[in-house]
Amino acid sequence: MTGWLTRFPVRVAIGLVAPALLIVLWQWQTSEHIVTFAPPAAVGTALLDLIRSGDLARDTLATLKRAFTGLAIGVPLGVAVGIAMGIWKPIDRLVGPLLHALRQVPMIGWLPLMGLWFGMGATTELAVVGMSSFFPSMLNSHAGVAQVEKRYIEVGGIFRFSVAQRIRYILLPGAMPLVLTGITQALAFAWIATIGTELLTGANAGLGVAMQLAQVQQRLDIMLVIIGVTAALGFTINQLFRQLRQSLLRWQPSV
Amino acid sequence: MSAHPHAREDKPPQSVQHGALSVRDLDKSFQIGGRPHKVLDGINLDVRPGEFVSIVGASGCGKSTLLRLIVGLDTDYSGELRLDGERIATTSLDRGIIFQDHRLFPWMTLEQNVELALLNTDTPKDRRAKIVADHIALVNLTGFEKAYPHQLSGGMAQRAAIARALVTEPRLLLLDEPLGALDALTRVHVQNELQRIWMAQRSTMVMVTHDVEEALYLGDRVIVMSPNPGRIRRIVDVDLPHPRDRRSPLLHRLKDEILAELTSGADADAADNLVHLPSREPR
Repeated sequence: MTGWLTRFPVRVAIGLVAPALLIVLWQWQTSEHIVTFAPPAAVGTALLDLIRSGDLARDTLATLKRAFTGLAIGVPLGVAVGIAMGIWKPIDRLVGPLLHALRQVPMIGWLPLMGLWFGMGATTELAVVGMSSFFPSMLNSHAGVAQVEKRYIEVGGIFRFSVAQRIRYILLPGAMPLVLTGITQALAFAWIATIGTELLTGANAGLGVAMQLAQVQQRLDIMLVIIGVTAALGFTINQLFRQLRQSLLRWQPSV
Repeated sequence: MSAHPHAREDKPPQSVQHGALSVRDLDKSFQIGGRPHKVLDGINLDVRPGEFVSIVGASGCGKSTLLRLIVGLDTDYSGELRLDGERIATTSLDRGIIFQDHRLFPWMTLEQNVELALLNTDTPKDRRAKIVADHIALVNLTGFEKAYPHQLSGGMAQRAAIARALVTEPRLLLLDEPLGALDALTRVHVQNELQRIWMAQRSTMVMVTHDVEEALYLGDRVIVMSPNPGRIRRIVDVDLPHPRDRRSPLLHRLKDEILAELTSGADADAADNLVHLPSREPR
């Protein structure tokens, strides 16, 4: 039996092995000076300083606010458009080709244009983050509705479902697994886009801004703190959403 | 057709009035590779109210297509289909169907699945829970109301599908190889349940099956169909009271006869069948 391996505390402990090894490796290479790197202890001190000064909290909150505002716009819009495209073919034919062409442009590629229109400020950041969460939500929701099996739709026909009933009881729940996959991707994309735009637009606060500033000031320790915080936050958001997803999809056979 | 007084005498007369199916000169073609391909040719059939009719035949004889036409999922045919004199033009809550795959919605519990069938009926909301519970009890699934379909075994899921199909009290219930995906033991078990339910519900049932023994065990009549195009080859009366004894010599004799009938036709165009069969009966 390997059941104990899947227990939560054990799983956490196993997950921490690789990061711990990385820190050991890091400490060792610091003394060997292969590349310029701050030693772990210095990074620890920098972390404490950033927490004490409130800079870290300010930057983290600014980034989270930016990411979730963008998500709050992009995800509902993406899910709605994707589902509408899945349900009504004419909508798909009308806007599908345009959207599929636009999504080929990397999100960062929109920055210059947006900057020209809105300036390198909040509006541009929001537009880019919103778009990066819109496309995965839209694509997966569309696919989700499209892959609902015809045999279930026939059951709706047998019981005389109206269009609204078919959407509510068959298409939406049937599409739910892929809609949630889309939102998972949107979370990751929005997070990357947020840090990316912060780096490039130099907003007044945010983890990306702090990274940029640390580079200018040649503060390797701060840079590593911000990278660590970015990774940890992104990971946490993803894990929390995974829990939500699992509870929403408890009707699925566990995989 | 001979009368079947056995076991049906206790029926109140009004229930016998409903569920008369009449099929007249039914033709059905599919376009295959741009050319029309006839799957049903001149089907004539009358099913009496409360009767259990089984349809057997090789793959490609159009028997599943026939059920899809009767239930109203496919309305592109020529000829006439009537239930109690009313022409069949679309689906209706008067006509239920059970498929080989149970088709329960995986995102709903057993109870929710059964209750959803009542969505567009005029059953009062406050009575629905009781009706649902009764039908779950009818198929012996009490205790599994909150289970999701993936948590049920194949036999249980198929019984749940039976409950869902019966909850609207259709005048006619169609069964499209309902037990085809079950293992032999479960199959016998669900056959017994089907017989019990049919005797209790007294709705008209038309079942398509591959299994001649099953067709004979349950059917008042067995329709033998031949393929390419699908035609009725023979109608066999099974003059035995329900519930039936599987060991009955009559059932065994009829089984041998029907099997001989089915295989003799297959020999003639066996080569033809081997090449074309899989594509002949669109699902």
